[in-house]
This record gives sequence, C-alpha cells and structure tokens, in this order.
Amino acid sequence: MSGKNHLREFTKGFLEENPTFVIVLGLCPTLGVSTQVSNGLGMGLSALFVLFFSNIIISSLRKVIPDSIHIPAYIVIISALVTLIQMFLHAFVPSLYASLGVYLPLIVVNCIILGRAEAFASKYGVLDSALDALGMGLGLTMNLVLISLIREVLGNGTITLFPVGSWSGVINVPVLHTYPVRVMALASGALLLMGYLKAIFDVFMNRKKDK
Amino acid sequence: MRKNLRYAFILFAICAICALILAYANSITAPVIAAHDAQAQEDALNPLANGYQIESVIALSNDKTVVGYYPLTEDKKQVGAILILKGSGYGGEFTLLGSYKLTGEILGAKMLSDSETPGLGKKSEESWYMMKFVGTGLAIPVPTSKSMLSKEDSDAVSGASVTFGGVSKALAYGSEYAKKLGGAK
Repeated sequence: MSGKNHLREFTKGFLEENPTFVIVLGLCPTLGVSTQVSNGLGMGLSALFVLFFSNIIISSLRKVIPDSIHIPAYIVIISALVTLIQMFLHAFVPSLYASLGVYLPLIVVNCIILGRAEAFASKYGVLDSALDALGMGLGLTMNLVLISLIREVLGNGTITLFPVGSWSGVINVPVLHTYPVRVMALASGALLLMGYLKAIFDVFMNRKKDK
Repeated sequence: MRKNLRYAFILFAICAICALILAYANSITAPVIAAHDAQAQEDALNPLANGYQIESVIALSNDKTVVGYYPLTEDKKQVGAILILKGSGYGGEFTLLGSYKLTGEILGAKMLSDSETPGLGKKSEESWYMMKFVGTGLAIPVPTSKSMLSKEDSDAVSGASVTFGGVSKALAYGSEYAKKLGGAK
C-alpha cells in the first residue's frame, strides 16, 4: 500500500467515513455523555485507546483467529481493553471515571469498536489498522467534543475542562450561565442537535463532492 | 472434534492472556482505588455529622440495605447514626451515606458511589438533590414517590425516576433502621 493510501486510512475518519455523522455508529454514548466538554473528551480518548489497541491486536491475530469464533474472540479482547482503561481511570482520574459512569463499560458494545474490528482490522495489516483506528478515534473524539461544547454552552452556560491546580476547570459563559437553554442539556436537546449537525455535515459533504 | 478442540484452545489462550494482563493491572490499581474510596467516605462523614462526635464504624452482615453505621454521640451518649446504605438505581447498585437522629429524622445524605446516567441519575451526587429528604422521617414521611414532592423537586428528578426511587427507598429504610437503633420496635 502506498503512502497516499496510508494517509487516506488515517483521514477518512474525519470526513468521508466520519463515525458519527456518516456511518452513524456509537450514538448511545455520543448522546449520553455529551453533557460536558470534559466528558466528551474523556469518552473520545477512552474509545480511541480501545479502538487503537483492539485494531492492532485483532489485525495481528487475524490469521490465528478462525472465522467461526471471531466474534467471541474480538469481544474478549475489546472487553479486556475496556476493563483495563476502566481500572486506570478509576484509580488515577476518579472524577472522569465518575462522570462517564455506565457509558465507560458500555464501550465494549460500542458499534464503532466492533465495527472497525470486523470491517477493517480483521482484513488488513497492522499499520493500516492502526491508522484506521487513529483516524476513526480522533474523528469520534472531535464529534464528541463539538456536540458537548454546543450542548454545555447552550444548556448550562459553562465550559467544563479538567481542573488544574487551584483552577476548577469551569468557564462560565456570560448571559447563558444565568439564562441557559435547558432543553440542550436533556436527551431531547442532544437528538435535536445531532439532527442539525448531521444536516450541516451532509450539505458540506455534498458540496465537496459536487466540486 | 479436533477442529472444535482447536477453537476451544484459541479462545482459552486469548481469555488466559487477557486475564493475566487484567490481574496485573488490578494489582496496580486496586490499592489506589481502595485509598480513594476510604478518603471519599471520610470526607463525606464530617459534613453529615451535624456537630456530633463520629464513633468508629460498626459493620453489619445481616442486612442487605444497611451494611454498617457510624454512631453519632453527644457527651458520650448516642444521639444518631450515619448509616452506610446500599440501594439500586438505573445503573445498578449504589452506596450512599444517610445521617439520622435516633428518632428516624434525616439530618443529611450523600451519594458515595454509583453508576447512574450522566446528566440524569448522576444529579443524585449533587448536594441539592438530597436536601428534599432532610428533615423527613419523623413528622413528615420520607418522600418515596414523586407525588410526595413539591413541583420544583418533582421536576428536578424527572428523567431519573428509577434513581429517585432507589435513593428514597434506601433512605426510608434507613429511617426505620435508625428508629430501631433508638429502641423503637
């Protein structure tokens, strides 16, 4: 595979095969945790870690794991990686672990992870699988941060990052902090925003194709 | 038969390697997590004591909801207790601390650990969430359904009724338990 193709494996997760707005996978955690920017970033990076290592391991073992047992084998590998990140977040970033709650163990059944393992890592080499995971993971992180940022700013009037020293990590947005658009913090607001963002994304991609 | 044995061996090998890696990770993280949990429990106790003296924890093994309690004393006489309560919410089991007078009146409560949904059941971790229960348990019953709450409080728990049900039932049970500690039959 040429260098150009390697680059394509990496960049496709941002636009043409964007996991949220084009493939429309992993919507449950995307909508569930996108209430704060720190949650979106934490979930995105956790999924990126799992995706990156699961793709590498599955790609390395693709000739060893027979077709008839590939799903249980992939699930064991993915769930071990999720448990690993769960343990380390619980121990070393307990606030993020608490914020992500039930969505962290649910990465095991995130369609993006199993989807990439099944559609890509089980068929291609380690380098391309790693690049595919990086692109898809970064694309997902970007989407999660974007959705979280819009929802938190409109729905709560704040931007929650990670605390540093004496700084709490929370930025208050004038006016919206006093008069927030509460619906954006609720599940209905998440669905509404997702619809608008997908529409904008589709228009952008169609214009790109026309050119 | 031989093919099936080969499949079983491959799955076994993958599981065994994963288990070994997780066991090693657990040996690194478990002591740190235990220290965090102990610190969180200690930090939560003082604001719930209402100025009373907190005595050493008494662990219980015969109750599914109250797994232990810290007696609260004044002039060496027990006046209340902070109960360690287990309950069940939308995301599974949670642990919360409930502070009671021996009359069953709730002095305060704090969620210690849970797996509730962010933005919905997670609200139970915030201090305002437990305020609706403070002062109940004696003359006013502990609110165990949304119809027993004010409109404002009812709106605040909307979207997370299962969490509210779990928390309120655990606190109501704790109130009865505190009464028993006070000698009520």
